[in-house]
Amino acid sequence: MPTQTTPEPGLALQMRGIRKAFPGVQALAGVDLDVRRGEVHVLLGENGAGKSTLMKILSGALPRDAGTIEIDGRAAALASPREARGARIAIIHQELALVPEMTVAENIFLGRAPTRFGFLDQPAMVRDATTFLSRLGANIDPNLLVASLSIAQQQLVEIARALSLDARILIMDEPTSALTERESARLFATISGLTARGTAIVYISHRLDEIFAIGDWITVLRDGRNVATQEVRQADRRALVRLMANRDVDELMPPMERTTGTPRLRVEGLSHGNRLHDVSFNVRSGEIVGFAGLLGAGRTEIARAVFGLEPFDHGTVYVDELPVDIRSPQDAIAAGIGFVTEDRKREGLVLSRSVRDNVALPILRRLARLGIVHRKAETAIAQSSVRDLGIRTPSVSQLAQNLSGGNQQKIVLAKWLATGARILFLDEPTRGIDVGSKQEIYALINELAASGVAIVLMSSDLPEVLGLSDRVLVMREGRITGEFTRAEASAERVMACAVGI
Amino acid sequence: MISSSTLRRIVRGRESGTTFGLLVLCVGLWIATPYFATAANLSNVAEQSAVIGVIAIGMTFVILTGGIDLSVGSLVALVSVVIGSALQRGVPVFAAVAIGLLAGVVSGALNGLMITRGPLPPFIATLGMMSVARGAALLLSDGRPISGFPDGLRALATGEVFGVPAPVVMMLTLYLLAYLVLTRTVFGRYMYAIGGNEEATVLAGVNVRRWKTVVYAISGLSAGVCAVLLVARLNSAQPIAGIGYELDAIAAVVIGGTSLLGGSGSVIGTLIGALIMSVLRNGLNLLGVSSYLQQVAIGVVIIAAVLIDMALRRRVQRSSR
Amino acid sequence: MRATLSVRRFLVLTSALLIAGCNRGPDATARPTVALVVKTLNNQFFVDMEAGAKAAADSLGLELIVQAPEREIDVERQMQIIENLIQRKVRVLMLVPNGSKEIVPAVVKANVARIPVVVVDSRVDDGTLKAAGGTVATFIGSDNEDGGRMAGAYLIERLGRTARVAILEGVPGHETADARLRGFRKALAGSPAMQIVASQPANMERDQAFNVTQNILQAHPDITALFACNDVMALGALEAIAAAGKGTAISVVGFDAQDDARKAITERRMAATIAQNPREMGRLAVLTAHRLIHGESVPAEQPVAISLIR
Repeated sequence: MPTQTTPEPGLALQMRGIRKAFPGVQALAGVDLDVRRGEVHVLLGENGAGKSTLMKILSGALPRDAGTIEIDGRAAALASPREARGARIAIIHQELALVPEMTVAENIFLGRAPTRFGFLDQPAMVRDATTFLSRLGANIDPNLLVASLSIAQQQLVEIARALSLDARILIMDEPTSALTERESARLFATISGLTARGTAIVYISHRLDEIFAIGDWITVLRDGRNVATQEVRQADRRALVRLMANRDVDELMPPMERTTGTPRLRVEGLSHGNRLHDVSFNVRSGEIVGFAGLLGAGRTEIARAVFGLEPFDHGTVYVDELPVDIRSPQDAIAAGIGFVTEDRKREGLVLSRSVRDNVALPILRRLARLGIVHRKAETAIAQSSVRDLGIRTPSVSQLAQNLSGGNQQKIVLAKWLATGARILFLDEPTRGIDVGSKQEIYALINELAASGVAIVLMSSDLPEVLGLSDRVLVMREGRITGEFTRAEASAERVMACAVGI
Repeated sequence: MISSSTLRRIVRGRESGTTFGLLVLCVGLWIATPYFATAANLSNVAEQSAVIGVIAIGMTFVILTGGIDLSVGSLVALVSVVIGSALQRGVPVFAAVAIGLLAGVVSGALNGLMITRGPLPPFIATLGMMSVARGAALLLSDGRPISGFPDGLRALATGEVFGVPAPVVMMLTLYLLAYLVLTRTVFGRYMYAIGGNEEATVLAGVNVRRWKTVVYAISGLSAGVCAVLLVARLNSAQPIAGIGYELDAIAAVVIGGTSLLGGSGSVIGTLIGALIMSVLRNGLNLLGVSSYLQQVAIGVVIIAAVLIDMALRRRVQRSSR
Repeated sequence: MRATLSVRRFLVLTSALLIAGCNRGPDATARPTVALVVKTLNNQFFVDMEAGAKAAADSLGLELIVQAPEREIDVERQMQIIENLIQRKVRVLMLVPNGSKEIVPAVVKANVARIPVVVVDSRVDDGTLKAAGGTVATFIGSDNEDGGRMAGAYLIERLGRTARVAILEGVPGHETADARLRGFRKALAGSPAMQIVASQPANMERDQAFNVTQNILQAHPDITALFACNDVMALGALEAIAAAGKGTAISVVGFDAQDDARKAITERRMAATIAQNPREMGRLAVLTAHRLIHGESVPAEQPVAISLIR
């Protein structure tokens, strides 16, 4: 609940009652945010809590459904990025928005290059760029190509750009995710300089250390609503973690009693560049092992490596205690592994084809004789899948793109089950799915485990992981940083491992 | 063979738009000139559509996977010249044709390898092959057409099977074969899957690389068959043959309703597309329309066909929600 | 579905109409129709021919259809056009073939349909025609070989028997271009100091001629003369020569006497061209067609005079 309602002098930004809905999901359900001039306001929340949607609205990239925004006391519509720039709001995205093949100066003035009689005024551009860069204490030659700079330097270029826009409100999204400690320290110094001059900064980050280092105020979002707004001075780490993670757990069914058998899958010492470091784990038949952690922690990379989509530097994979050499999805499928990817539209389904075609795709060879597909067998498998998984579709000839998200995900599951997979990787299995279908899918996952399938569940939805898993492994920056049994696991403990306390 | 459910699908489905267009065109021409709707003329039209029609079969496969083949025109020339050179050296007709078709298949497979192993975008790879094949054809023939071939070859163009011209029989047989492959075989399913979502298909364990190479080999084979037809018809193997054929083939495929993005379409549509173009040209000739206007007309038809197809697709999508 | 039913009904109706209409014969047109199929209408030469033909047709009371493929090199398309015109039941077919040997099957089809064939400007290969059992009523055209000879003779006279010559050939296998080349080469054979240093095809197209000429100039910067088998190519060559700054050093001779070529000659950029009089060819062709329709006999060869324009 917001703790400030009266407008204060020195309020650079005031957002009230912001609402935004996407088809099937209410991303923001009436969010408030106040930022004073010269203040660093940290925005905290889980993935999907609404942070990026809120910032997109503030930077003019998305229209809001309802709510008001006041900049320096004046109402602002912010209907386009140009308007936002006009209101002197600048945003620095997590993925930097620079043009690598252009110079630093050109990037700083992208779209607003100074001209003389209609021609590009190169010297003026370089001169101005140097001014802004030096104000940041950045020793970067404006004539260098951006592609030749380090990430830290590129970030400074982005900030210089924001400066050149004379931004009064600066949004920074996970700015230190690609920086070393030293570079982060320098960034914080820069931020101090900016705030000293009265710039208001909205700072999105998961890293609690940073928050306590530079933040003045914190707002925690959850499920599109404000959960807490506090001064950093008065905040407590553990309390913050609890605020971020806590939510209703009664969506889930209580797990059925499962007996786990022998280890189906064992991974030893999996390493790949600086994405994965010495990852080892095993999964038994009938067991659900959950991988928790923040986005980018390395969970998907494990699945891709085991499934043969990406090569890895070190490590061995054992299926039923025998070492396997998996180099392609074909090999993985032959070894009985299935992979429900995190993006069903891009990787999981051929949307323009029917339910039947999608379910049968990996096993077409088995359903054919001399290359000719046995139509009846194909339809039979599709129909039994529809029945067993409760897929709601008028017929198996219905195109996949016409089904709801939940049913689409069921088709993906059905596809892997049809291959006879006994080891199943599930990556964000209920992302973008309505609550009712989520429940059904949880039930399905339970049933699958009960029938002996070894399941690796990867999800950034904590309650999901906690509710379904027999064991929870926590990943952070490519390593396994914690392991909990069902009894030991709790939201706070897992979150703590995930953010690195 | 063509079940009632298929007929129903054609009438209700997306091909109905193109078929409708063809019928409108035919009715219009029938009204405009008495020379159109004679058995002899319609037989001519069918025969004339065989040249592009055959290439369009291979092109349909390629476009279904989301690719494109710009080299088919040059491959027609190359295969023509290979066949001509072989016949000149006294190689029997059957063997010469076989060698020519093999040349087409190999060139197509080369395209496929460039695209899958490069990996080069299909546009670039086949553009390069377009030049290389044309150059090879000119080199092999020293720039001059080769003519004077045994009657056995000419029969392929002039012969008749139960009163139907041989080229038409050849074309329809190949279309039937292609239709069966696309709708009933594993390979056919893979085509649609790759075009619909290549990533998902890789993830489903399909050897996408291998099948994409095969698809371009099929396109090369189609060009080869077209070359055989041309050589038989003109009684001459020209290194400058086939210029612009790739665009006509693509037009036939697009008019027929196959999406250039891949993943949807059918050979039946392509056949109708090829027929539309032949009927149009035939009609304009019969009406004595200026050659300049003819070029405009064909362009207009292509644009109209695609617009109608897009509109129909949107309607189909909305109604099945 | 309602939509399906109405589509079905429409299809049935249309098919019925089609079948009923199939038996309509050709309606009794007032004027007899004749057809002229040229190599391409993207060439001034054939546009002139069309003009001459049209004038004659109007004065003789004939309906004239003129059709052509887009490019001179497209024989297949020409064949298709002829097949379609045969269906159109034209009384006479006047033809400028894109392939001397390749067009023979189409000629035979016309023979079978009892449509007399008048060949204009570019001959049909005699041997192939005889072997296929076809006939043509007459050939109207210039002696292209003689024209080539004239061009060669002119160059010899202008350059004083010594020169380094480049040749732009036409479409390989086209009888017209081949004949012109033959004549030109024969004319130069008697003067050994006239050296042919390069001979390349440019397919009767202007931009190809530009590129080929540029390349020839790279390899042989000291040529003093250039003969192109038609004006379209000569004009392209002229531009390449001008771009290389060799405007006055090279004498260019074309063929066909197009308006642009005549202009270039008046401006002294081009040396000469051979006038074939396509208008007269067109007129004669239609006149011959008129005669054939009325059952008169026509001579096998009807030469049209050529002249040198300088």
